Amino acid sequence: MATEQQEHLKIEELQQLNPDQIEVMAGRDRENLEGWIPVLATEAEVKDALEKAFDYRGDVTLTLKSGEVVEGYLYDRRHGKTLDDSLVRMMPSKGEDRSRRSIPYSEIAALNFSGRDTAAGKTFDAWVKKYWEKKAAGETNIQIEPEKLD
Amino acid sequence: MAIPVSQAWTVATYVIKQKLAGRKRYPLVLMLEPLFRCNLACAGCGKIQYPAHILKAELTPEECFKAVEECGVPMVSIPGGEPLLHPKMPEIVQGLIDRKKYVYMCTNALLLKEKLHLFKPSKYLSFSVHVDGEKEHHDFGVCREGGHDIAMEGVRAAVAAGFRVTTNTTLFDGADPNSVRRHFDQLMDAGVDSMMISPGYTYDKAPDQKHFLGRARSRKLFNALLSNRKKRWQFNANPIFLEFLMGKRELTCTPWGMPTFSIFGWQKPCYLLQDGYADTFQELLDEVDWANYGTESGNPRCANCMVHSGYEASGVNYTFGSLKGLIATAKAMFGGTYEDEKALKDLNEWAPTNHGQLVQIGSGILSAESERVNHSESLVAGD
Repeated sequence: MATEQQEHLKIEELQQLNPDQIEVMAGRDRENLEGWIPVLATEAEVKDALEKAFDYRGDVTLTLKSGEVVEGYLYDRRHGKTLDDSLVRMMPSKGEDRSRRSIPYSEIAALNFSGRDTAAGKTFDAWVKKYWEKKAAGETNIQIEPEKLD
Repeated sequence: MAIPVSQAWTVATYVIKQKLAGRKRYPLVLMLEPLFRCNLACAGCGKIQYPAHILKAELTPEECFKAVEECGVPMVSIPGGEPLLHPKMPEIVQGLIDRKKYVYMCTNALLLKEKLHLFKPSKYLSFSVHVDGEKEHHDFGVCREGGHDIAMEGVRAAVAAGFRVTTNTTLFDGADPNSVRRHFDQLMDAGVDSMMISPGYTYDKAPDQKHFLGRARSRKLFNALLSNRKKRWQFNANPIFLEFLMGKRELTCTPWGMPTFSIFGWQKPCYLLQDGYADTFQELLDEVDWANYGTESGNPRCANCMVHSGYEASGVNYTFGSLKGLIATAKAMFGGTYEDEKALKDLNEWAPTNHGQLVQIGSGILSAESERVNHSESLVAGD
């Protein structure tokens, strides 16, 4: 999901043109969220930050009001009317118990975009540039290797 | 025939049963994603952008079977990630075949040749090999030099071993229809049963955000590509969907037609958008506000989508929705080659426009490497 500003830009584009007339579609600009620790002072800030955490392609760390710290991938969020009945769903990355957790927004004291953004920097342009540089240097079997998982 | 008669019959009777039962929303193909792990790292794919512990996770065979039974589809597509990296993939495929499901096992084919012996040829099983175009185009698309040759070697090995083989080609901005037409010839020469094609989608999670086709350009491209087509080309697609891609027909999106199940559950609302996950298929049907999706909804994230996962089921619905639909489909299937002089002129005059280096691939100027290196130096590296 795009951020509010990105949605706004796309809607603006669509207001200028009918979708059937658009030749090349705008993509989105990626926000650099890695390492970000948002302020969670207001209800709006909590909701916005957790929406971005849901969109983020790395692990996040939640500090709960109980003092417990949960690190993992935030794969879902469900919006209720209040922070009590809104919740995030996570797959923890550490600890013996890796079973999925559902955590109400109201129990979250702090959020840290602690994990590496796994989508960052992997543009097609970057690949093409790297390819031609390596080709010019005489390399063969040029490729982007998937990252090691261990 | 692009698909077995038994498959066409199974799908037809399934759809008619749903319609007779008065079901407004029913799935046609389950997109089963047993893992996100992959042995490629394509810039246009956002499916593998996850932390390592997510990439290591995978569905068990039992979870796969439960999902298939839960939604009751006649056909299952197994994308990923790369399904052949799942250690229990042969067991999953056999379990689906035992349930008489028609399985399309999507693969980049890097491991196909060496793993073929783990599968048995069956009318229920097709390897759906992702080949995005001629050699250079495919290699750039998958960000791996030599990827095309390995994939085609896998295709030939599977064909020789008696398997049904289809191919899947996704086209982005810069695709050259003349090159894609040569690609179709090469695929048919290699003995594939049929080919799937689709435009790419402005997938928010994809690292590459610059080469997405809008609807106008998609139609132009597919009209040039699929008009005046050769009779030998066999497509694994509803012909009404192909007419939609060519701009000859309007369809509205059927986002529930190809639901996706992965390690996170049932993806809301569709294969391409991630608005959260439902724990059951019924919850997916009940809780998604479907009116918010599809081009006609005004949702900007759906504005340019013409992808098969949203519109192929729409084509099938059109086919079985009325006598007119059946006649139109029969005409499209047996009617010929879509002769079109204007499309032929477009094809002959097709000039790659300057939307990045991808357009130069396959256009015969690869030898001008120094020029390309100079040009690429002006690009900003993302990593």
